[in-house]
Amino acid sequence: MNLEELSQAVVAGDIDTAEKLTKEAIASHIPIADILGAGLVPGLRRVGELFEKGEYYLPELIVSGDAVARALDYLEPMMGQKGASYMGRYLIGTVQGDVHDLGKNIVIMMLRGNGWEVTDLGVDVSPQEFCSAVSTGDYQIVGISSLLTMTMVNSAKTIEALKAAGVRDKVKVMVGGAPTTAEWAAQIGADAHAKDGPMAAIVAAELVGKS
Amino acid sequence: MVVRKMNGLERVMTALRLKEPDRVPHFERIAGKVREGILPGASEEDFVEHMDLDGIRFIDRTHSWSYETVDEAKRIKRDQWGGLVRYTSEDNPVPVEPAIKSEKDLENYVLPDPDEEWRYEYLKQLAKRFKGERAIVVGVTDIFALGRENILGDVGYFRAMVKNPDFIYRTSEIILDYQLRYMRNCSELGVDIFWVNGDWAMTERPMVSREFTEKFLAPPFKKLVDYAHSLGVSVIKHTDGNIWPIYDTIIDAGTDGLHPIDPMAGMDIGEAKAKFGDKVCLCGNVSCAFSLVSGTEEEVRQETREVIRKAGKGGGLICMSSNSIHSGVNPKNYLAMVKAIREFGQYPLALD
Repeated sequence: MNLEELSQAVVAGDIDTAEKLTKEAIASHIPIADILGAGLVPGLRRVGELFEKGEYYLPELIVSGDAVARALDYLEPMMGQKGASYMGRYLIGTVQGDVHDLGKNIVIMMLRGNGWEVTDLGVDVSPQEFCSAVSTGDYQIVGISSLLTMTMVNSAKTIEALKAAGVRDKVKVMVGGAPTTAEWAAQIGADAHAKDGPMAAIVAAELVGKS
Repeated sequence: MVVRKMNGLERVMTALRLKEPDRVPHFERIAGKVREGILPGASEEDFVEHMDLDGIRFIDRTHSWSYETVDEAKRIKRDQWGGLVRYTSEDNPVPVEPAIKSEKDLENYVLPDPDEEWRYEYLKQLAKRFKGERAIVVGVTDIFALGRENILGDVGYFRAMVKNPDFIYRTSEIILDYQLRYMRNCSELGVDIFWVNGDWAMTERPMVSREFTEKFLAPPFKKLVDYAHSLGVSVIKHTDGNIWPIYDTIIDAGTDGLHPIDPMAGMDIGEAKAKFGDKVCLCGNVSCAFSLVSGTEEEVRQETREVIRKAGKGGGLICMSSNSIHSGVNPKNYLAMVKAIREFGQYPLALD
């Protein structure tokens, strides 16, 4: 079967077609890595390009995300098996004092669609909770989201807490969120900044040398 | 030229009419922590008087919506629309679960009653104390923001824009019914300005395409503006973010003021003045992300001067922060900003 059609279903946000094609691909014994690599990932990449070009906005991202999520319902139970390894483990949360999760959830959708195993700490996550999760888990990247100008400072506090806990060097730290900038990310000692969900997937791959 | 000294209300309304007041007006939403750092123990109203601010804001979410506690430890409450909100450390109720999740929910939806008297108690207090002296600015949450955040939720709303537009239209009509009745009640109690709160844009770009902005966001906003004007009340529209691609849709809806001309999103107030300063009063935009938080008092003074220099000429400027005086703002810096407005904002301006 032609996985290009699966990519097109993702771009179009066509949930039913994405589901049907994913089931067909699995039934045809196409390797999970190929369904991701030649179906979902190129579709999401195209969605990201359209977003960056200003042709897609949040509504289009959401419905494309719905199509990817439906496909992943069938694929994720088989991830981790032979020939279907994850890109890596990604820990994410919205900083303390901030309970917005739309941006974070779009990042998660993009990461999962690109083959990341994502642990979501949710919203209003304290620096201690980030530290504890990093200490006990095996993550390559920690993503810290702040959607409010007034909570940006808590991203910096979280990075400081990771240092104080002696686990900062265990992970790469990405920061993002509506009011954030690359300059600010550098100032607070993050490894990388992503201005939106599509960019987060690209930057994450770069951070682990899999771009 | 001798300029007659105006009171706060006259100052604000003159700026909204795109004329020169005696000086650049200023009012803000100021977090309790900052107020406490300046005038310990004072109420918001006492603080406004102490600082001689030109207006005072009434927030609909906090002053006229009802909430019922669901989980005290997690600070989760059910709002009057039926969804769940969680309070931030700033005491802002942020929606975490929408009221309407399906067509069936919408069919059975019971709208809260905007005519309940208690909703207007605080407004009555403000009117009694400030009417005619300082601008009484009442929050009306934007139809798009209310629909997206509280009623359908971000994901449900955006999904419906693509897959089920009729769902959005029907939801907007319901919310409009409430908001228009609420506005009528406020107008009878002495509101001077409706502050239509709700973001249409993110830092990089508008949330939705221009096509969707024109289709879903602008029409109900225009209904709010037209109704406010029919009541003799002015409107200031607040939206963070980069609105360059859609600013004309907001202005064409007839708003009198636009806040905050978000500098974090690349909105330069001088450019805004040149492009649409003859059509709408600019309200902004001293950075509450940088200078007001971590700058020196002199940096704040210079930035405030620059905002007035770029956007104050000929009137049509209310100098404010780039969002609000949130709890992270250094109280000394807020004082420096107010002082600078008084120092540099006397008309006729002499800053070039």
